[in-house]
Amino acid sequence: MITLFRSLFAPPRHLILLIAALWIGLALAEKRSERHNISKEALNNLVYYSIFGYILGGRMLYALSNFSAFVQSPLSLFSLNLDLFDPLAALAVAFIVGLISGSRQKLSLWSTLDALTPLCATLAIGLSLSHLAAGTAFGSPTDLPWGIDLWNATRHPTQIYELIASLLIFGWVWFQKTDTRPGIYFLTYTTLAAVAYVFLEAFRGDSILIVGGLRLAQVLAWIVLAVVVFASESLRRVVKSD
Amino acid sequence: MQQTQRRIIYVILLTLGFAWIFVSADRSGASTSGKIPAPQQGFLAPDFKLKTPEGETVRLSDLRGQAVLVNLWATWCPPCRAEMQSIEKVYKEYKDRGFTVLAVNMTYQDDALAVMPFVQEQGLSFPILLDGAGEMGNAYQLRSLPSSYFIRRDGIINEVVIGGPMSEALLRTRIEDILE
Repeated sequence: MITLFRSLFAPPRHLILLIAALWIGLALAEKRSERHNISKEALNNLVYYSIFGYILGGRMLYALSNFSAFVQSPLSLFSLNLDLFDPLAALAVAFIVGLISGSRQKLSLWSTLDALTPLCATLAIGLSLSHLAAGTAFGSPTDLPWGIDLWNATRHPTQIYELIASLLIFGWVWFQKTDTRPGIYFLTYTTLAAVAYVFLEAFRGDSILIVGGLRLAQVLAWIVLAVVVFASESLRRVVKSD
Repeated sequence: MQQTQRRIIYVILLTLGFAWIFVSADRSGASTSGKIPAPQQGFLAPDFKLKTPEGETVRLSDLRGQAVLVNLWATWCPPCRAEMQSIEKVYKEYKDRGFTVLAVNMTYQDDALAVMPFVQEQGLSFPILLDGAGEMGNAYQLRSLPSSYFIRRDGIINEVVIGGPMSEALLRTRIEDILE
């Protein structure tokens, strides 16, 4: 089953899973956006501008940081190679574009983030499926009976762990009664996602290690968790005092 | 949920998370890099020994110390054909700095007689290897053509690029990385 899935969505076809998740996630977010006082059109505009910023920003900033390579072949700027891309810079640009677009449409930040939560939860499912298809984000070797054969070893099926966690979190997102206080819905989703990341990263075989063998992604996820918990409590206090 | 209950849950979550980070730390240097050969970024590139059309044998592990681009291709594959000129250009540009290309034709899925005319027509000067039995294709778990593996001087795969054609800028940035 896994082998068939991996053959069907072998790279670069694994990107289809991400695009499908984006499309489904946006449709689900639109369906619920009115609950957060965000119109479908406003949410659509915000997401499409952000996607545009993501694609353009990722390529432009990659070209800038590898300027000499592009100077010798400027037409590569328009190449269809998806690898000529800086995903972190792309995310930063998408975020900035989203902020600008949201403020021009006079959208409330917390309500917008709440409206985007189903999209984030669906993208997480798509990401775990694309990891499974590409064999990336793989686990460390194990002799547990549910280990999967990947990259010439029996490994923790970390992509499947990730998929289960994403599905459970999505289930919570979809069936949870929306908190009336703007921002709490999004922050609770982020808390769950950060907890899952801290826990599951421990089984990864490709972690970036820092001092004392600590896993960088776990440390970052824990910091996100701490910030989100603090923000959530602060937000509740502000709303209460209002 | 009461405020006190919620705060207790948050403190427990943060404390358990903090402890878990230390418990699950990988003090052995856990990354699988360099230990198991596998066709994936961070692993030792699986070794292979193949012949050129002229009958000369080339083994990947003999090139340790050089940065290597292993490119899997076939004559019937349009993106493979399209990227050959870019590969040739960067090969000439970087070969004096310790970079080489092994262009492995997937002969078991190709027409062996079409290989040399194509190479001559394109004027390719880097080594062309023939995988007649599909052993190399299997070892690299080939799923799409072209597939390119950028291998560092220590034999570790730095990046895998599936699909093509690769642009010159992509080739240059990846080659600079593996030459470091």
